[in-house]
Amino acid sequence: MADLTQRLFGTQWQSPVLLASGTCGYGEEYAELIPLDEIGGIVTKAVSLEPRSGNPPHRVSETPGGMINAIGLQNVGLAAFIREKLPWLRDNLVRARVLINVVGHTEDEFEAVVAGLDGEDGFLGFEINVSCPNVKDGTLFGTDPAGLAGLVATLRRATARPLVVKLTPNVPDIGLYARICEENGADGLSTINTFPGMLIDVGKRRPVIGNVSGGVSGPAILPMGVYLTWRARQSSSLPILGIGGIRSSDDALQYILAGASLVQIGTALFVDPEVAVAVHRGVEAYCTESETPLRELVGGVQIPDRD
Amino acid sequence: MNAPIRDWAEVREIRRAADETWWVELDSPAIAGRARPGQFVMVGLGVEQVAAPFLPRPFSVGLAGPDRTVGLLLREFGAGTRRLARLRDGDRVLLLGPLGQAFSVSSDRPVVCIAGGVGLAPFLFLAAEQRKLGRQVRLLYGERTADRVFSSELIEELTGVAPIIYTEDGSAGHQGLVLAGIRPEEEPALLACGPTPMLQAVARLAIEHGLPLQVSVEEHMGCGIGTCQGCVVRSASGEWIKSCTEGPVFDARELSWPT
Ligand SMILES: Cc1cc2nc3c(=O)[nH]c(=O)nc-3n(C[C@H](O)[C@H](O)[C@H](O)COP(=O)(O)OP(=O)(O)OC[C@H]3O[C@@H](n4cnc5c(N)ncnc54)[C@H](O)[C@@H]3O)c2cc1C
Ligand SMILES: Cc1cc2nc3c(=O)[nH]c(=O)nc-3n(C[C@H](O)[C@H](O)[C@H](O)COP(=O)(O)O)c2cc1C
Ligand code: FES
Repeated sequence: MADLTQRLFGTQWQSPVLLASGTCGYGEEYAELIPLDEIGGIVTKAVSLEPRSGNPPHRVSETPGGMINAIGLQNVGLAAFIREKLPWLRDNLVRARVLINVVGHTEDEFEAVVAGLDGEDGFLGFEINVSCPNVKDGTLFGTDPAGLAGLVATLRRATARPLVVKLTPNVPDIGLYARICEENGADGLSTINTFPGMLIDVGKRRPVIGNVSGGVSGPAILPMGVYLTWRARQSSSLPILGIGGIRSSDDALQYILAGASLVQIGTALFVDPEVAVAVHRGVEAYCTESETPLRELVGGVQIPDRD
Repeated sequence: MNAPIRDWAEVREIRRAADETWWVELDSPAIAGRARPGQFVMVGLGVEQVAAPFLPRPFSVGLAGPDRTVGLLLREFGAGTRRLARLRDGDRVLLLGPLGQAFSVSSDRPVVCIAGGVGLAPFLFLAAEQRKLGRQVRLLYGERTADRVFSSELIEELTGVAPIIYTEDGSAGHQGLVLAGIRPEEEPALLACGPTPMLQAVARLAIEHGLPLQVSVEEHMGCGIGTCQGCVVRSASGEWIKSCTEGPVFDARELSWPT
């Protein structure tokens, strides 16, 4: 029997597979399509202090091997999230873990969302989004070492719950940011958010996306995500949630071997909601065949000597 | 709301219906059994391949046949639809549906369907159902030119309704825009699906004459089920609302129309 269980962030995980922020709403929408309580968990759409209305359309479009999106973090805001969304998560997910993705324009706003949620039931911890390319200040903290250090330290004081920081790929050295998170008290890292990109309609000679630029996701970014996960692993000992382009168990295993303890699936859910369970089963089969518990595969890539 | 169904469906038949335009019948009893006119399905090829269409594409349910098939009217537009047009009998596609809000039709007013281009699709389904209930439907259908006009024999075969055809250059049916076929004095309930400029023109006319109007809108989609917020249109109060779950069929008064 394969052993997929891991003890991370002070809790037991039955599966390494989570659904990525922004691609599974607040869980409820996929409840009838995905047996959520059989997978590792979900990360909610970003929650901000005030509701946000988001960007003008088009907000999404296909790109080679993936998609581009500029939703603009449209969300119901903290108060409505607690009132309307959190109860469903609390009442329906028992074994699956819930991380709440948090955004803010300022350190105070991030802190207010974390503090406002801290005393509520129905979730495990926070994924701090300092890496959204689709709003003006979305990567402000994620690309400024001093700003990131201050933010993580502040949020660490605001909550004892697991604090995971979701990093942007759009920096010269992701290792630096991984270390800053660790030094300032974060419990984990999510690598990676989308890559900034642009798509032009040559017939109209206009950008396809209403926001002009957007974030690129899907299979096209898989190798970059695997690499950046591996780089983050070199610089920090925090558990990592690997994200970017996963649509099969082989993809997930690449992240795991590169150093991720858990993985998240985003864009591929739009193509086939069953991919989440299929990835879980495939990882299970790999562990069975190699007679290795999942936790021993984490970071297990063998790098040959190069001389 | 019933949860959408995920179903690998076999292509039963694909036949050419006009230039770059195809009628596709898919074997999906579960979805056919639940679909209502105005609802749509996401059509994809699964996660094993990454060429367009990688993201599934939205299509109106063009018919939910008595033989439990889902009919789609497919027009080649870009890389994704061109690929789907090359499907052959026996190929399989991954469906998610039925999705979104349907048209609501009551018996107390004559129903006029205003279709622009592939906006015809939901009205094939609607007209067929209304006919079965013994109700009259006027189906106004516009295209740019004759070679684009979906075969009127096929329309009659599928629905029992003869379309009133308009082309911009007069190469088939009446010359002009479908709008010309609306007779406001009959106080019809208007249903419209087609390009945005057409919907805007119909909305202006409906407002001017105080006629009830439902429109089916098109916007790029990610998930089709309300999670990604990708498919928004502007509501009358200026909010961005999701066309996949709150639409694609809206009462025209719920949306904001540029003046
Ligand atoms: C609710 C709904 C019902 C539809 N019903 C039908 C139908 O019955 N028959 C039919 O032929 N077409 C229909 N369409 C339009 C069809 O979905 C698009 O033509 C198709 O997505 C274009 O994909 P492509 O790869 O060929 O084009 P590309 O332009 O190469 O596509 C690039 C990206 O833009 C998106 N996109 C481009 N045009 C549209 C559009 N008009 N609507 C939504 N997304 C678009 C694609 O999904 C893709 O992500 C419908 C659209 C919607 C929203
Ligand atoms: C439509 C869409 C919305 C997203 N919204 C968020 C969000 O609110 N917060 C966030 O941290 N990441 C968001 N992401 C990024 C994903 O969580 C993920 O990091 C990225 O898409 C890469 O994974 P994938 O290739 O599996 O999609 C979004 C992605 C998509 C496609
Ligand atoms: S397409 Fe994802 S919310 Fe409508």
